[in-house]
This record gives sequence, structure tokens and C-alpha cells, in this order.
Amino acid sequence: MSISSIKGCIGCGTCIETCPTDVIRKDPKSGKAVITYPADCQICHLCRMYCPLDAISISPEKSIPVIVSWG
Amino acid sequence: MFPGDKMKADMKTYNRLAAILFFLAMPLLFWALGDTPRRSFLKESISLLTILGYFLMLGQFFLSRRNKKVLKPHKTGKVLRLHKIIGYIFVSVLLVHPVLIVVPRFFEVGISPSEAFSTILSTWDSQGLILGMIAWSLMLILGITSMFRNKLVMKYTAWRVFHGILSTVFITLATWHAVELGRHTDLPMSLYMGTIAGLGVLLLVRSYLQKSSNIQSA
Repeated sequence: MSISSIKGCIGCGTCIETCPTDVIRKDPKSGKAVITYPADCQICHLCRMYCPLDAISISPEKSIPVIVSWG
Repeated sequence: MFPGDKMKADMKTYNRLAAILFFLAMPLLFWALGDTPRRSFLKESISLLTILGYFLMLGQFFLSRRNKKVLKPHKTGKVLRLHKIIGYIFVSVLLVHPVLIVVPRFFEVGISPSEAFSTILSTWDSQGLILGMIAWSLMLILGITSMFRNKLVMKYTAWRVFHGILSTVFITLATWHAVELGRHTDLPMSLYMGTIAGLGVLLLVRSYLQKSSNIQSA
């Protein structure tokens, strides 16, 4: 597992939109994001980078460096 | 030095140590022992600043005239001056904390600080966020009414009751908001926050009830 926890979610849904493999879904009861399919996480960090509250944590031991373009 | 003076000095020292323990050391300990994943130095510093600001605010309930028995050895003027100084510090820290959260975005790829801030403010279906916004507004009123107390058309005693009620509502909402949205508010820290906040409110309510029963019996 690479995406490890979501704490302090406000339910804006940005992470759900940015995740390319649909790892995160919105809990209909709480309206907050939950890690539904952790095994599908590709450690792309998009959810973490786009979360406005920095609520998402990625396991550091499984992380790979984020590749950013120079242009 | 008379024995009474020594006891007074000792009591002052114990009070200072207790204040440091409950409102500085314990929160730091909870932060250090919590299992929340660590982030960059800047982000953790901002988290710590906010946590300490919150606990300073909790300390205000105990650093007032309502806590007569414990603060007996201290001069009232000094206590009130410290209450004021700490009040202005924590109000400033907590007023800017929503902006501080997005500051690290200046140094990262991904969402921009302004975009992050507008997303936070436009998410209206989050209970924790709405509680935070109400608490933030109440804190602003608390700060302004304290700063310009002399200019308000209100007797000092009436202002004190107003200040106490406003603080109680504010602390309730702020604690709820922090427990729900705080990154470091795991179960032990939430329980600690709830206990200290509850005790502070109880102290205030008890002093009001005692006062009103004294007036009735007189």
C-alpha cells in the first residue's frame, strides 16, 4: 500500500478527480474522501499535491520521487 | 523572608510549572508521540504553531479572575495583563492559520496557494470547515471587543459576562473543528483537548452560578 491515510478531509473531491486509478472514493455518509482501492495506487502523488489541506499522506518507504518538468 | 512569603513564592512557581506542563509540554508530547506521518519542517512548524496557539487559548480560561483559588498568590493586575497579551498572541496566530495552511504550496508543485485557499473556502458541505468558519468569526469578535472594550457602550460587568459567554461558545466550536479537521488530533490529543476545554468551561460556568446564588442569598 502506498497511499497511507487521509486526515482532515473537507470533502472537496479534488483528490477523487485527480486520481488516475480511482483509488479514492467519496464516502456517501460522511462526504469525505476514503481510500477504497489502495492496491491500485500507482504512487503518482497527484492526490497529495492537489489536496488543498494537505490531508493525504503517502507511505515514505514506498514512495518514488515526483517527476516534474523543467519547462 | 516570612514563611507566608515563601509559601506564596512556591505557589507561584508551581502554578508557572503547571501552566508550562499543561499548555506547552503536554501538547508537544502528544504531537511528538502521535502517529501522524511527518512532513516538511515548514509544514510541521505551522502545525505546531497552530496547536500551541490553540492551547494558549485554552489556558486563557484558567488565567483569569475566575480561577481565583489557584491564582491567589499572583497579583490580579499581572494576571490580567498576561491574559491580554496571550489573548492577542493566540488570536493573531489562529486568525491567520487558514492562510498559513496554504503557504507551503508556494514551494511545491501541484495546486497553487490561492487555488487551495479558494477550494477550502468554497467547500460548504464540510461540517468541520463550517464550524471553523463560525469559530473564526467569533474569535474575531472576541479580539475586536477586547481591544476596543472602552469604546463599547457596555458596563464592565456586562462586558465580562459577554466575553465569558462568547469564549465558551467559541471554545466549543473551535475544539470540535480541531478534533474533526486537525491533522494531529488523534484520539489521545482529542481527549486531552476535550478534557481541558471542558474543565475551562466548567470553571467559568461554576463561577457564574456561584455568583448568581450569592446574589440570590444576599
